[in-house]
Amino acid sequence: MKTLAKKDLVDVLRYWTGHCTVMTPGRKSHDEIVFDEFDEATFTLDYRKPSLPPKSSCLPQSETIFQVDSGTYEPRISEAKVLLFGIRACDMTGILQSKSFMTADTDDVFYRARAENLATVVMACSGPQNETCFCTTTRSGPFSKQGFDLQFYDVGDSFLVEIGSDKGAVLASAKGFAEADDEAARKRVELFRHEAQGRIALLPEVSQAMERLERGGVSEELWDKFGSKCIVCGGCTYVCPTCTCFNVADRHSGNGGGERIRTWDACLYAGFTKEASGHNPRKTQGLRIKRRHEHKLLYYTDRDTHEGLCTCVGCGRCSDYCPVHIGTIEVVKAIAGEQS
Amino acid sequence: MTNSINEFEDADLFFVTGTNTTAQHPLIGSRMINAVQQGAKLILVDPREIQLAGFATLHLRQNIGTDVAVMNGIMQVIIEEALYDREFVEKRTEGFEELKSVVSRYTPRVVEQITGIKAADIVAAARLYAEADKAMIVYAMGITQHVTGTDNVKTCANLAMLTGHVGRPGTGVNPLRGQNNVQGACDMGALPVVYTGYQKVIDPAVKTKFEQAWQVEGLDDKAGLTITSMMAAAQRGDLKALYIMGENPLMSDPDTRHIELALSNLDFLVVQDIFLTETASLADVVLPAASFAEKSGTYTNTERRVQISHKAVEPPGQARADWEIIQEVCRRAGYPMDYRSPDDILQEINRVTPSYAGITLDRVEKEFGLQWPCPNEDHPGTAYLHKDKFTKGLGTFLPCDFKPLAEVPDEEYDFILTTGRVYYQYHTGTMSRRIELLEREAPEAVVEVNPDDARRLGIRNNDRVELSSRRGTITLKAEITQRVPHKVVFSTFHFREAQVNLLTNPAHDPVSGIPEYKGCAVKIRRCA
Amino acid sequence: MEKTSTVCPFCGCGCNFYLVTDKGRLTGVEPSPQNPVNKGMLCAKGWNSYEFVQSPDRLTTPLVRKNGELAQSTWDEALQIVTAKLLEIREQQGPSALAFLSSAKVTNEENYLFQKMARAVFGTNNVDHCARL
Repeated sequence: MKTLAKKDLVDVLRYWTGHCTVMTPGRKSHDEIVFDEFDEATFTLDYRKPSLPPKSSCLPQSETIFQVDSGTYEPRISEAKVLLFGIRACDMTGILQSKSFMTADTDDVFYRARAENLATVVMACSGPQNETCFCTTTRSGPFSKQGFDLQFYDVGDSFLVEIGSDKGAVLASAKGFAEADDEAARKRVELFRHEAQGRIALLPEVSQAMERLERGGVSEELWDKFGSKCIVCGGCTYVCPTCTCFNVADRHSGNGGGERIRTWDACLYAGFTKEASGHNPRKTQGLRIKRRHEHKLLYYTDRDTHEGLCTCVGCGRCSDYCPVHIGTIEVVKAIAGEQS
Repeated sequence: MTNSINEFEDADLFFVTGTNTTAQHPLIGSRMINAVQQGAKLILVDPREIQLAGFATLHLRQNIGTDVAVMNGIMQVIIEEALYDREFVEKRTEGFEELKSVVSRYTPRVVEQITGIKAADIVAAARLYAEADKAMIVYAMGITQHVTGTDNVKTCANLAMLTGHVGRPGTGVNPLRGQNNVQGACDMGALPVVYTGYQKVIDPAVKTKFEQAWQVEGLDDKAGLTITSMMAAAQRGDLKALYIMGENPLMSDPDTRHIELALSNLDFLVVQDIFLTETASLADVVLPAASFAEKSGTYTNTERRVQISHKAVEPPGQARADWEIIQEVCRRAGYPMDYRSPDDILQEINRVTPSYAGITLDRVEKEFGLQWPCPNEDHPGTAYLHKDKFTKGLGTFLPCDFKPLAEVPDEEYDFILTTGRVYYQYHTGTMSRRIELLEREAPEAVVEVNPDDARRLGIRNNDRVELSSRRGTITLKAEITQRVPHKVVFSTFHFREAQVNLLTNPAHDPVSGIPEYKGCAVKIRRCA
Repeated sequence: MEKTSTVCPFCGCGCNFYLVTDKGRLTGVEPSPQNPVNKGMLCAKGWNSYEFVQSPDRLTTPLVRKNGELAQSTWDEALQIVTAKLLEIREQQGPSALAFLSSAKVTNEENYLFQKMARAVFGTNNVDHCARL
């Protein structure tokens, strides 16, 4: 365990920028707080969970994966080193889950290169970020148990800093970090964790819904009701820390050259499953919503979840940002409330 | 819009007509769905069974082009049953007797015959709308794109005033703007009759004001040509040169063949755009412009909110921001201009436009935009209009009589074609068709055909069909769907492979110049 | 990576999002979480709006029609032709032989400048845009 005085944090961030791109919360125009490259002038610790998870650091919304030019093929494997400062435990779990999904069975070299060059500094939550947080239910927060390089606990004028990896140890060798008295620090962290956990309400409907889905006891009407109001924005998948589906397209530049681009896709779009014949196995919006939630609550293995309950990490963003309230919270409540 | 987007969240009733809101203004459509699920009522007047129909308290599927009759019928019932807002009518309006006398002829039974809507539904709609506390009328191009577009809009306003549903939060007459800066283009005087802020070109005081501001003499004090008249003038040979910035009339205007003739009849056509559009292909000079991502400036949304957008990337190649290009043309034409940034231009707009006077760069950076009118730097902007009085004082009822479509179906052209957009594509497709996912979702032109009509004509789902009007023929894929009523087909103008505007009728509203895209006579048959 | 606040180029709702760039290339969007119009949400068009900007079909040089075909040109030549032709037509046929179509897709400042050009520089009120279409 290390300790870092808050007044020294900016120096540390500045030091890190000499080694990699550092992403931190920053105050933009209109006083809006967004994660962006570290800028001393706009950096702030007064932030909540950002509207997008940090998944774009390993899977950008759009990226060129290879380029073809007059007979040559050149893969575009990123070498950029990125440090995410201040991400939340739910998002850390999301990164872990996605990394095993994207690299374990099939090695996605483009993803893996970015993931291996990524450093993560988690800011443990002292309580819910807003009313949609349910990470204590999904066992993915409010603090991280694994996968992080460093984890910060805000204890007033300073942070207690947990080292999670060799990379983390190197990061914490920067000037400003000091050794913490282990016993006292351990107790302080335990108290922090205990209090934080107590502040985030459990959402029992999640496991109830999981059981109901397991038994196949959810009515088609429930899904159709959600389907009828879905405006098919795809936002629930875009803001989800564990959605990694992508579409691939070629962009021709003439003379037989061009690039292959992959972009985030969404299983809520009809074209996601439409077959060449024109047939669509998920022919209604209700079925598409059903399949999305089954992926979060039903289809997964222990390897995928990294000690979590399922592949939903309880960040609550789909409930925050669904224009018509079809987030996981609304869905599990509807399932749990349905008469069997 | 008289009112604001967030007011959709707490209105009690929506009267929605001529807008497929969930597809075309999704984040307004979603607010209506949420409000309905919280108990708000929805009266939907639309011939098509759009997504909102699933949430409608009443869905009135009128015969196309009969909107005035529908609303006159509703007003007839409101007056007949004394459900109107007497106090509002007395204190804030004029012309009530004229309105009463016109609408008195539109009894529910008469209206049923014209519109195809059951008399009982007209009565029900009238009661629901009149009795709601906060009721918003919401419309879009389904109302305006008719030869009676102006009448349709006036009739919406009559209905709102009659019931006092205006001048309060959660009420009003709310046209939804289809493009990100249609509102701004109008506000900035990109119209033949007004300068910025709707200051009239025929007003001598206004003319003098702009002559001084712009340091010129002899500004034109007669109304100019609308886009529709420009095309006619070009065809006659009266118009010699046309400078088009960021528009694609060859795809978007009715009766494409005539537009093509008009454009090729010009001596000189210059098009400034980000892509080589269908229109740009005909130009003598094409100027490459920067896209929204490559320049800074402000845009005004449908609720009159002026918002700032910043430059994120450099324009490709030699492309330049539109303002830089225009400035260069003006300089070369001998008019001195020296704006260093869009902000310099905004400052001039602030000076010459009373409703934008307080909308400065500094403020739009700090706040999330400002809604005009905002007459000075201390003014907070205006969330809803007509609070205590109308701009002109009393609101005048402008009653209108029903007039049919310019081109009604006959024995040969026995269907009505109505046009619009689909959710995944946008306008002439210049931008959206270059987005892979959107193109995957809606890759080709489709015509919606009612199942009964399809059966009679031997058309199956996904068959190629030939769609013809008196002006042209296109072939495209049929989608058999209950979404359209009998004898109505629907298609979109996104696809150059099947340009629906080859078919549409250029007949237009005499006042606004808007063509009747929403209804023309066509025939349809399965391709051999 | 950098994030720049912009307004969506599609419908009239006026949703705000940050354009995400990496080494001068657009890589995606991030909806503005606090803007009162969209509150962190977007529609399918908004979420994918960044993509057309980098299409290989973008116009990158001025084009001038020569021998019936549009050919690559320079700004100097293209602007020279535009001004000369517009001035010549105004001279010979009067300002009402000219017309200007502005755009519902460009900024307020550009719309302002465009109508100013039509009126103050070329002397005509023949200026409109596609509000009707």
